[in-house]
Amino acid sequence: MITQFSGISPKGDLILLHKLGEKLNNRSFLHINSTRAGGGVAEILHRMIPILKDLGIDARWEVIEGDERFFDITKKIHNSLQGNFENITEDMWQHHYEVNRRNAERLNLDADAVLIHDPQPAPLIEFSKSGRWIWRCHIDVSHPLKEVCDYLLRYCGKYDAAIFSVAKFARAMGIDEFIIPPSIDPISEKNRELTGEEISETLNKFQIPHDRPMILQVSRFDRFKDPLGVIKAYRLVKKYNDCILILAGSPATDDPEGEIVLKEVQDYASDDPDIHILLLPPFSDKDINALQRAATVVLQESLKEGFGLTVSEAMWKGKPVIGGATGGIPLQIIHGVTGFLVHSIEGAAFRIRQFLNNPEMAHRMGEKGREYVRNNFLITKQIRDYLSVWYAIENKGRSVLEL
Amino acid sequence: MEKIMEFFEFKQCVSLLKSTGKKAKNLRELRDAIAVVSDESIFHHTYQYFLKGHILEYTNDFAHWAGESLEERALAERLSNIDPYAFKNIDELRQELLNVIDIYLENFPEPREAMIGDEFYFNETITLTFPVGIRVKNLAEFLIAVKYIDAAAIYYHFYEARVRLGVDDFSKWIEDSLDKKDLSEKIRAIDPFMHSIEGIRDHIIETVEKDVRTEMEAIER
Repeated sequence: MITQFSGISPKGDLILLHKLGEKLNNRSFLHINSTRAGGGVAEILHRMIPILKDLGIDARWEVIEGDERFFDITKKIHNSLQGNFENITEDMWQHHYEVNRRNAERLNLDADAVLIHDPQPAPLIEFSKSGRWIWRCHIDVSHPLKEVCDYLLRYCGKYDAAIFSVAKFARAMGIDEFIIPPSIDPISEKNRELTGEEISETLNKFQIPHDRPMILQVSRFDRFKDPLGVIKAYRLVKKYNDCILILAGSPATDDPEGEIVLKEVQDYASDDPDIHILLLPPFSDKDINALQRAATVVLQESLKEGFGLTVSEAMWKGKPVIGGATGGIPLQIIHGVTGFLVHSIEGAAFRIRQFLNNPEMAHRMGEKGREYVRNNFLITKQIRDYLSVWYAIENKGRSVLEL
Repeated sequence: MEKIMEFFEFKQCVSLLKSTGKKAKNLRELRDAIAVVSDESIFHHTYQYFLKGHILEYTNDFAHWAGESLEERALAERLSNIDPYAFKNIDELRQELLNVIDIYLENFPEPREAMIGDEFYFNETITLTFPVGIRVKNLAEFLIAVKYIDAAAIYYHFYEARVRLGVDDFSKWIEDSLDKKDLSEKIRAIDPFMHSIEGIRDHIIETVEKDVRTEMEAIER
């Protein structure tokens, strides 16, 4: 499994993974989250567990079970941690705790290290028996609803350490707080190399012409992704450069606003034959991969963003990227080096024109972007960092560790 | 007696980022936090700047933030001019950072605030070091290794070594084990502040290649 990353991930990361694997050989590493399928956490765990096992670590993945009320409550907790107002009553917190208590009876929580993903299973810490317990927060908690955050910290503060994706998401919790960004898997269907034939297949399927430069944004139809802004930017560009625009996203069945936004986008695109709005079914990874590889310029013009891994996906494919300066996007785009950060529709249009008129510059930035992703946002680095956190907790108090 | 040749063993380090929980939204808060944060945090925001692949507009995170987020360009320039390797320890470096900021605040007592979300977050790191399994015994082998080794190994031997030894590992080995003082001095003359890690790699390759070529072409009498 791990050998598949040779020649793809930085060699140093792979060497360190093996060294950490030797140090932590046969020791148990338990991951717990709240869903086996759907969402980025489950996606990455599916890939991560076999790699950990291949490194000689006794890795396990358990999923907590809950009733409809539990998931309704945890959705509200999630939203309020992202800054939306929700009323979480004491009774609701009690149910949150009670479901976790029942799961603690059902699950085997014995492990040398336990990584609890997100707020849903956070109360499990109350039932820890042994090992190092780490809370992994995948969501943007930079502006949470204070009461909800404080309540949750009653649990999280009891962990040995916490992990956040971005430094500004970290809280002053009184425990070690590590920063580990999310990652993409370079050998997954969404990111693996594709043949020219495979790319053409997707373009033909969606009747996308190959004859002009293609501007692409892959995202849900969500106002925070500013799809109308993308169309406005395209129209500004179109006055100078003939090009086509692809807006590709999955229908958001769990988002009642999704359909409204999609309708707005379709109306705004009107009958422009060069704007292609693609509704991709779930599991369209290969098509997304092909579209990203076929694109001339990739946009992620978000107004608000968690981490925005679609940026790294495009950069990994050597594409010049333009992103809104929000959330985790500035961590991926070093302005002027691996792409451009923009703050307005006009800024996006200007940078698109720059890329279209300077293919050499677009190529150079694309190459830099790919290297940047190779060094910072591949799954092997994320696993390396998780194991390093575990190892660092076991060697607490030392700032330099020699392996 | 012939000198015993020592191998050069390539190592590299990776940094595990930790939050200190401290942040600053304006220059006064930055100053007050610099005065009290851990040595590891000062180390991270100055010495480890080059690990991050920024454009070479600045030479440390404080300068970068002052220039990009506070738009205090003159302060950014002054902070960039601080050479962390010129100080004996972190406290001296910390004091110099504070001096530069204090002088600036005397002249411009009301600097602007950073935008929400663009505050300065004080981090620190835990460093893991490990050998990468490559050992070389002569300059030709060294040249090949430097060409293809991970950038993180160049960082470890060229930047991080200065904190450990006062000089980079490469020039030290070339002088101590290969007895090539001239070449060693040429490597030492490469200014770490003026290049990215890849730029450093290119300069080392160019310098060493010239020496290897000369040696290959030399006629022994």
